[in-house]
Amino acid sequence: MYTVIHAIAGYFLLLLTVRVLVRRPGAQLTPFEFVIIFLIGGVIILATVGNDHSETNCTCAIITIGLTHRLVSIVRSRLPRLAAWIDGIPLVVLREGQWQLEQMEGLRVDREDVIAAAREKGLKSVRDVEYAVVERNGSISIIPR
Amino acid sequence: MSTPARTRSIEDSLPRDRNELSVGENLDFQRRWWRFEHVVWVVYTLIVALDIAGVFGRGPVAKVHKSTPDGAMNLTYERFQRFQTPSIISIHFGPNAVRDGKLQLWVSQSLITKAGNQRIIPQPASSELKDQALLYTWAAGQNPDSADFAVEPSSPGVYRFSFRLPALADEFTETVIVWP
Repeated sequence: MYTVIHAIAGYFLLLLTVRVLVRRPGAQLTPFEFVIIFLIGGVIILATVGNDHSETNCTCAIITIGLTHRLVSIVRSRLPRLAAWIDGIPLVVLREGQWQLEQMEGLRVDREDVIAAAREKGLKSVRDVEYAVVERNGSISIIPR
Repeated sequence: MSTPARTRSIEDSLPRDRNELSVGENLDFQRRWWRFEHVVWVVYTLIVALDIAGVFGRGPVAKVHKSTPDGAMNLTYERFQRFQTPSIISIHFGPNAVRDGKLQLWVSQSLITKAGNQRIIPQPASSELKDQALLYTWAAGQNPDSADFAVEPSSPGVYRFSFRLPALADEFTETVIVWP
């Protein structure tokens, strides 16, 4: 029973911590952020399985996490407001030649991140960017002029 | 005949940025989220500070030292313990704790059932169950100047335990919080 409770608590704690910690869990995950996520994941595993390293206990923990994730996915798809809290929302960080400083500071996205995304899009200068949007998965979408 | 695939016409439900870019930015929501994020970080910082202080065990606030007025018993334990995590409850005995060449200690049964007592060091010569409690006896020549109870709580919650020297009627009744 404790494994199930710990697994569910661990899932939501990890979800909250990763959500408040980083905006770039996907495509632009840096080594710095890799360290944090793997370290937190390792610690959560210890708390979840405790002293019981049996196959039964680990199987129960994995299934519990899978079911919790599935349940959260279903609820999230039906409640867009909850989806915004879990996944975040897209934010425009560059709009028609103007850096959107509040969004950039809040997201801790710097100009170099946007310029790198523009280069990946084949643009020579940030001046060729009309919109830069930080997506929910943390990637930066570039809309050229 | 196969069932036709379910379809729906596309619709532009996202609010447009400057009537151009369909992005659905909501700065009011985002500001609320940043405020929430700030609260989370404050709470996280508080948790770490409390942990360093020992409110969750293993720190200065958790440690308790108590003595009976006559000095027959000195008790050391952690008032905050953790589920399935070993901890030691230690009693030091004064010379006046020994009577008739033997030392007897009355221990509430909750030390076994709630605190999950694993072993006693040194091992008593005998133990007997009496009135929801255990009476441990260390024989002559074995009289220890201290006894350590290695506990490992089997469930989270609050429990109380008692130690008493039957010979002197000195008693400790303590409360422990076990964190999950």
